[in-house]
Amino acid sequence: MNFPQNYVSQLMEKITTWARINSPWAIHFNSGSCNGCDIEILATLTPRYDIERFGIKLRGSPRHADVLICTGPVTRQARERLLRTYEQMPEPKFVVVVGSCGISGGVFQGCYNVVGHINEVLPVDAFIPGCPPRPEAIIDGIVKLLAHIQRGTRPALVIKPGVQEAA
Amino acid sequence: MTPLAALLSIMFFPAGITLILSGMLYEWADRKLVARFQNRIGPRWFQPLADTIKLLTKEEIKPQGLKSLLFYGLPIVALTGALTAALYAPILGFSPIYSFPGDLIVTLYMLSLMTMCIGLAGWNGSSRFSLIGATRSFTQLFAYEAPFLLALLGPAMAANSWVIKDVSAYAEGHYWMILTQPVGFVIALIGLMGKLELPPFDAPEAETEIVAGALTEYSGRGLALFHIGKSVELVVAVSLVTAFYLGGIGNPLLFLIKTLVIVLLMALLQAMLTRLRIDQTVGLWWRYGALLALLQILILILLKGWLA
Ligand code: SF4
Repeated sequence: MNFPQNYVSQLMEKITTWARINSPWAIHFNSGSCNGCDIEILATLTPRYDIERFGIKLRGSPRHADVLICTGPVTRQARERLLRTYEQMPEPKFVVVVGSCGISGGVFQGCYNVVGHINEVLPVDAFIPGCPPRPEAIIDGIVKLLAHIQRGTRPALVIKPGVQEAA
Repeated sequence: MTPLAALLSIMFFPAGITLILSGMLYEWADRKLVARFQNRIGPRWFQPLADTIKLLTKEEIKPQGLKSLLFYGLPIVALTGALTAALYAPILGFSPIYSFPGDLIVTLYMLSLMTMCIGLAGWNGSSRFSLIGATRSFTQLFAYEAPFLLALLGPAMAANSWVIKDVSAYAEGHYWMILTQPVGFVIALIGLMGKLELPPFDAPEAETEIVAGALTEYSGRGLALFHIGKSVELVVAVSLVTAFYLGGIGNPLLFLIKTLVIVLLMALLQAMLTRLRIDQTVGLWWRYGALLALLQILILILLKGWLA
């Protein structure tokens, strides 16, 4: 009795995953980077690298996007905006961090105006190291994220507490 | 209509699925061609399908302070309008399944319903970007609507009929109307791009200025329905222009090739031109488009009177 229903839901699951990994729409957010990473992201979008062949599209509105591409450390001012952009995105959503600053704080580590790296504010699914990473590296990172989605593994949705507010 | 043809047309049209799928294929052809013109590889053939399924399975967020009825209703009305318009148009080279006197006008207004819905959806939004997008959508609607109507009126007047079927039958039996009414064809083609808000007429959804225009607040299902509606509208409008200006319905294969030629022209224009400001769009239509279309209709009337 149960078998066909299971089968149908499995099939639906498969189709959904297929669609999801074939059409990741991205939005780009700079939470305090030096702009080096942003320029590399823009270079990734140029015809030379043509990420539309993977179905990746840069969208203007967070409501349309699936992947949030973050660059830079999180400054105190940008923290609110970063969280808000993240919360405006509909589920399921993924976060990709581009550049060393987003991974560890990089050269901005310990600055008076910096909260910290991105994983202190948002649950991150993929890190792309480099200062700044090359477009090939960014594409590779996104493709790895897609493989990750296909396997159905994701980090737990926990926003880490303990963000220091006081100066 | 023979039973087989009736069966085919019922299977192909009201079922909608074929229509939606063909809409996606046209959309893919358009995107791929633009990509090739820009020296890129371009999306894979199933890209619009994957986009749509993904959007349909995503969460739909309703922002606070919007009217629920409008927010959830408008995408459905928009898609319904586009699908209804498809009933009267010669999709994929099959003759339209329904027709009645005056269905040309009804079809054109069904196609405009889409823009109206997008405009209202933006108007309903609480975000300033969607409001600006809505204003631009409506402004653009007033700009291209009359010239586009006049451009399709030309063949209708030549055929002496308001029925799409009769006009395309007339077009089949005479010279291609692109030769006898070239101005009308150009205006219809550009009007088509205005209707679909493709570049250079994409000011209503200019992502570099106003995020995503009227649909900024839409996510998931609503956005997917608007997307499907747009691709259906693309098929319907391209079929109409082909049937009117490029020699009627003829045989389906030839018709398909002709529609693809129109998509090719549109992709070329998209890749070549940059976005017009909204006042430039309005100026273009009312200073040149409408006047040229009116002039052509005047000549048509005079010629008809003279020949009769
Ligand atoms: S990783 Fe390097 S390039 Fe990127 S934001 Fe940090 S300092 Fe700039």
